[in-house]
Amino acid sequence: MSWVIIIWAMIVAASLTLAAQHLLIGIRQRALANLLFAVSGVSVAVIAVFEFLLMRADTSRQYGELVRGIHVPIFFLVGSLVFLVWSYFGAGRIWLGVAVLATRGAALVANFLHQPNLNFVEITGIRKIPFLGEKVSVADGIVSRWTRLGELSSLLLALFLVDAAVTVWRRGDRRRAAVVGGSMILFVVFAAGHTALVHAGILSMPYLISVPYVAIVLATSYELTFDVLRASSLTRDLQESRSALRESDLRLALAADAARLRFWSWDADADEIWTVPGEGLPRGDVMDERIDLRRFFSAVHPEDRSGIWRTIREAAEKGGGFEREYRVVRPDGDIRWITLHGSGDIDAKTGVARVRGVSIDVTRRKAAEVEAQKRQAELAHLSRVTMLGELSGSLAHELNQPLTAILSNAQAAQRFLAGGDGNLEEVRAILDDIVREDKRAGEVIRRLRLLLQKGEIRLEALDANQLVDEVLRLLRSDLIGHGVTARTEIGADLPPLLGDRIQIEQVLLNLVTNACDAMASATSAEKRLVVRAQSANGNGVQVSVVDRGCGLPPADLDRIFEPFVTTKKQGMGLGLTVCRTIIAAHGGRLWATNNDDRGASFHFTLPGAEGART
Amino acid sequence: MNAPDERIYVVDDDPAVGKSLSRLFRSAGFDVLAFDSPEEFLRQLPREAAGCVVLDLSMPGLDGLGLQRELAARTCGLPVIFLTGYGDVPRSVQAIKNGAMDFLTKPVDGEVLLRAVRRALEVERSTRSSRLDLARFRWRLEALTPREREVLGGILTGRLNKQIGRDLGITEKTVKVHRGRVMEKMGAASLAELVHLADRAGIRPS
Repeated sequence: MSWVIIIWAMIVAASLTLAAQHLLIGIRQRALANLLFAVSGVSVAVIAVFEFLLMRADTSRQYGELVRGIHVPIFFLVGSLVFLVWSYFGAGRIWLGVAVLATRGAALVANFLHQPNLNFVEITGIRKIPFLGEKVSVADGIVSRWTRLGELSSLLLALFLVDAAVTVWRRGDRRRAAVVGGSMILFVVFAAGHTALVHAGILSMPYLISVPYVAIVLATSYELTFDVLRASSLTRDLQESRSALRESDLRLALAADAARLRFWSWDADADEIWTVPGEGLPRGDVMDERIDLRRFFSAVHPEDRSGIWRTIREAAEKGGGFEREYRVVRPDGDIRWITLHGSGDIDAKTGVARVRGVSIDVTRRKAAEVEAQKRQAELAHLSRVTMLGELSGSLAHELNQPLTAILSNAQAAQRFLAGGDGNLEEVRAILDDIVREDKRAGEVIRRLRLLLQKGEIRLEALDANQLVDEVLRLLRSDLIGHGVTARTEIGADLPPLLGDRIQIEQVLLNLVTNACDAMASATSAEKRLVVRAQSANGNGVQVSVVDRGCGLPPADLDRIFEPFVTTKKQGMGLGLTVCRTIIAAHGGRLWATNNDDRGASFHFTLPGAEGART
Repeated sequence: MNAPDERIYVVDDDPAVGKSLSRLFRSAGFDVLAFDSPEEFLRQLPREAAGCVVLDLSMPGLDGLGLQRELAARTCGLPVIFLTGYGDVPRSVQAIKNGAMDFLTKPVDGEVLLRAVRRALEVERSTRSSRLDLARFRWRLEALTPREREVLGGILTGRLNKQIGRDLGITEKTVKVHRGRVMEKMGAASLAELVHLADRAGIRPS
C-alpha cells in the first residue's frame, strides 16, 4: 500500500476537481475569479505530479530537470492567486501584488537561464529517505543563491495575502477573510517555509508544496457549498417574491380596473414605464412589457399633449406633486376625460428620476358635471322666463311708448302731407323721430331676447353700476305701477365683477321684484327701495336690495331659499333657490337679513374679475 | 278746429310720445301744449283754462290718477282723457269713476284719439258757459248779505213775498226791498231769468 501514491493521487484528483468546478462556474457566469481558481487548481495538480515524479527520481539529472520544470506551474499558481485576490476580494495592495509577480517572473527567467535550475548550482546525488513507509528521493547538492529570489517572492506573497485578508476582515466580511484568506496564508507559509527549510538543508524531505493546498481546497469547498446553499435559497426566495409580486400586481390590476384607474411609474433616465393595468391587455392582466413614455401618452388628445409632457418633465426634474386633467382619444374615436395625480422624486442614492402617478378615468363624472350644469342652466332659464312672464305688463309698456310715438308721428305726417301746405321740414323731422323710436323699440326687444336666451354661461367682466341700471330700467314701469321709488347707492371705484351678465341680471330682477311685492301693502311714502353696491372686503362686490316692507320671520331667513317655499299666492317658489344656485356657481353668497327699522334686505357677493373661480 | 283759448294739454313723461301726440293734434289744427311732468303742468295751467287734457296713466311721482284728483280739487272743468300702455284694470276703473272722459290704450290710433278729443272739447264747451255762469253766480252770491240770501232762497222756491216775510219774520215791504236788491245784485231782470240763471249755474233749490 503506497501512501504516497494514494495521497498524491488524491491531491491531484481534488485539485483537478476543484479546477473543473470553478472552470465550469467561471465559464457559465463569466466570472474571472472562478477561472483564476481553476488555473490555480490545475497548477497545483501539475505541481503534485512533479512532486511525485521527484520522489521517484533516480538520477541527479532527472531531479534537476524536474525541479526546473516545477517552477512553471508554481509561477502560474502564484500569478493566479494574486489576480484572484485582486478580483475576487477586491483587496491587496497593487504594488505588493506587482512585486510578487515581478519577483516570481524574474525567478522563472533565472530558473531557465541557469543550470540545472533556480535552486541548485549542482546536484551531487540522490538519496533515498524513508517517507510514509517507502523510500523517496531527495537531492544533495549546492543550493544556488537564486533560491533567495524564489523565497523573496513567497514572502512577498505571504505579506500580500495577509494585507488583503486584513482589508477584507476590516470591511466586515469576516468569515470569508478568515476562511479563504486564512487558508491561502496557511498554504503559502507552509509551502514556502517548508521548501526554504529543505533548501537550507535543515529538513530532509521531499517537496510538499501541493499538500498544504488541501487547506485551500477544503476552505474553498466550504465556501462553495455555502454559496450553493445560499444561491438555492435565494432562488427560492426570488421565486416566491416573484410569484407574490405577480399576485400583488394582479390584485392591483383588479382594483385599478374597478376604480377605472391606472397606476404607472416612469423611470426618467431609462424612459421605461411600468403600468397596471397594461396597455391593450384584457382586463385585470398585468403587463410585463416595458414601454416608453411617448407610447404611453400617444393616445392623449393632441391639444392636451404638450401640457401633460411639460408637467411630467417638470416633476422628473424638480420633483413634487401635480394634478392635471386631460383627454384621451380611444382608437374608436371615443373621448375620455382623465385626471392625473402624480409626483416625481429623485432617488438620493442612485440619482434616478422617477415619476409615479395614478390616472383616473373621470369621464362619467365629467359627463355628470356637464349634465348638471346643463340642468342648472335650464332651470335658470325657466325661472327667467317665468319671471319675465310676470313682468310682461312692464315690458309691454316699454314697447308701447315707442310704438305710440311712431304711430302718432306717422299719422301726423300723413295729415300734414294731405293738408297740401306740406311743411316738408316738419315731415322730415317726423321721419327722423320715427326711425329713432323704432330703434328704441328694437333695443327693448333685443334686451328681452338676450334675457330670454338659453345660452351657455358666458363669464365676462361686469360693471355693477351698469347692471343695476339695466335692471332698474327694465323694471321701471313695473316700479311705477307698484308705486315704488327706487334709489341706487353705488360705491365709487368698484372692481369689475366676473360673471354671466344674464344670470346676474336675473338675480337682481328677482330680488327687486320681490322687494316690490313685499311693499305692496305699505303706504306710498314707505314704498322705497334701495339698491346698494359696495366693495366686499377686498375681493369682489356686495350688492344689497333693501326694502321697507314687512320683513321676514327670523326662522325663515334661510328657509326661503329652499325650493318650493313661497309666500306668494301663485308661483312655484323656485326663484330664490335658482338665485342662490346662480350666485353659488359664481363663487359668491346670497343671504337675507331683516333691517333694523323695517323691511328686509337681500345681499349677495360676487368675486372680482381677478380673483374669481373659473 | 277749436275756439280761441282752447288748447289740448298733453302730459306724458316720455318726451317722444308727447312730441308725437303734439304733432298729431297740430296736424289736425289744434293748439297743443305738452308737458313731461305733472308738476310742471299744474304749475303752468292757467286758471281759466279751456280745452282738454290728454294724460298718461303711469308716470313716476304724481301719476295720472293723482293728477286727476288734483284737477278735480281745483274745480278745473277740463275733461281728462287717459292714455296708458300698461293694462291695469283696477286703475282704469278708478280713473273712470273719478270722472275721466275716456280711457285709451297705447299705441292709440290717430283717428280714435282725435274723435275722443273732439268729443271732449264739445263737452267742455257746453259745460264751460254753464261753468262760467256758475262761477259768476257764485261770485254774485257772495256779494249778497245773509238776509238777502235767505230771501233768494225763498224766491227760488216760488214763495210769495208775503210767505217769505212770514218765514223770516220780516214785513212784506222789507222783503220787497230785499228782493229788488237781490235781483239787481244777481243781474236778473225778472224772476224767470233769476231761476234760469240759477238753473244754468246748476243750483237747484232743495
